Amino acid sequence: MGKGFRPALFLFAAVMLSGSAVRAEEVFVAAAHSMKEVVDELSAGYEKSHPGVKIVRNYGASGALAKQVEAGAPAYIFLSASVDWVERLKKLRLVEADSVTVIASNALVFVGREGVKAAGMNDLPALSRIAIGSPKSVPAGEYASQAMASAKIAKKMAKKLVLARDVREALLYAERGEVDGAFVYRTDAKRSKSVKVLFEVPQELYDKVAYPVALTAAGAKKPAARAFFDLFRSAAPKPVLKRMGFTLP
Amino acid sequence: MLVPTDYEAILLSLKVGAAATLLSLPAGFAVAGLLAFGKFRGKMAVEIVVNLPLTLPPVVVGYLLLLLLGERGVLAPLLHALGIRLIFTWKAAVIASVVVGFPLLVRAIRISLEAIDPALVKVSRTLGATRRDALFSILVPLSMRGILAGASLMFARSLGEFGATILVAGNMPGRTQTLPLAIYDYAAAPGGESAAGLLCVVSVAISVVVLFFHEWLSRRAVREGLSG
Repeated sequence: MGKGFRPALFLFAAVMLSGSAVRAEEVFVAAAHSMKEVVDELSAGYEKSHPGVKIVRNYGASGALAKQVEAGAPAYIFLSASVDWVERLKKLRLVEADSVTVIASNALVFVGREGVKAAGMNDLPALSRIAIGSPKSVPAGEYASQAMASAKIAKKMAKKLVLARDVREALLYAERGEVDGAFVYRTDAKRSKSVKVLFEVPQELYDKVAYPVALTAAGAKKPAARAFFDLFRSAAPKPVLKRMGFTLP
Repeated sequence: MLVPTDYEAILLSLKVGAAATLLSLPAGFAVAGLLAFGKFRGKMAVEIVVNLPLTLPPVVVGYLLLLLLGERGVLAPLLHALGIRLIFTWKAAVIASVVVGFPLLVRAIRISLEAIDPALVKVSRTLGATRRDALFSILVPLSMRGILAGASLMFARSLGEFGATILVAGNMPGRTQTLPLAIYDYAAAPGGESAAGLLCVVSVAISVVVLFFHEWLSRRAVREGLSG
């Protein structure tokens, strides 16, 4: 054992044990990536007015998050970009059935960099690559493939699709110019400086984008989770939702 | 239960692995030779550069490749001038595999080259063999085990490549979606368990076959080493 061993051991122990000190009460929130700014803002405000509560946020594709909840990942509140995934968890009794509330809706747009020529769904087959969220787990991708199927261009587009992990990644691909364009939500497009909305996808081509929030079975047992959950159903999130470009139900 | 794009993912993985391995063989052999026999300043630096992808997170390799080869990357003007598009094509997946698999190839070939008695080459040269003759009739045949072992390891590594591939080749079903990417896609989807499981079985099966071949080669090498 060298001389440096003991200090090294102490350092190791300190690193391993740090964070296990007295912790604030943690409320785990799993939210669709398109809701990031809204949840961030609500959490910051809530943590300020409730010292001792820490909102731990996990953003991703709603389907991937639902799968994590199924697998037992810590999540007390689930904010999904699609009713389907909440319904699935409801059937599995992993969320409180009477807690499910739609708090906002959104719209699908097609974005691209300056100079990309696409003014409607029928122009898409002429492009070489477009990004969508993976339809298996990303609601924005599901809505996008639904819209392409309704517009009868799905077959022509099949080999042009780059599947992103979530809607923000699809936006990133379009921003970097790695793809000609991407299907994202109106709210995401609004936040991007390097791409513009080339066209809005006609609403009759896809289901309404609704954001239901739900209290999970694990969350129902935690008063702190229930308290933060009630905030979502109150009037509190409305101004920030509106500011970010969401439509209120 | 598997859909056509899943079969395409399996085939694409094999194709990318084979292309990456075959493309790397000449350079891999040259670099291994340089490291085995060469005495020059900065050899350590070459070793570190060659082995770096072995220890770097693949996602770092992928990100650096993206900065280099992306549509707005460092080499973009050159690639555009040549009319080459790499990013989000299967060629990008091959490049990613070449970078991460190269050190494995070099290591295996280098070990087998170092085991060759240098006197053999010298003797052949005194007997009038050209450098070319010495290369193809002594060095290549005697290090064939190492070449095959390195190639099989590199191929196996390519099959598992994920971090770098997803960044530079994207995730395009039927185009650039390799086996690990297809599994990842299913793994993130509720209800994707059975398809993910099935593709995992395929993945394990391919890896077992490749590793079996690799083990068989190294055992033969050991046995012949003992008897010879």
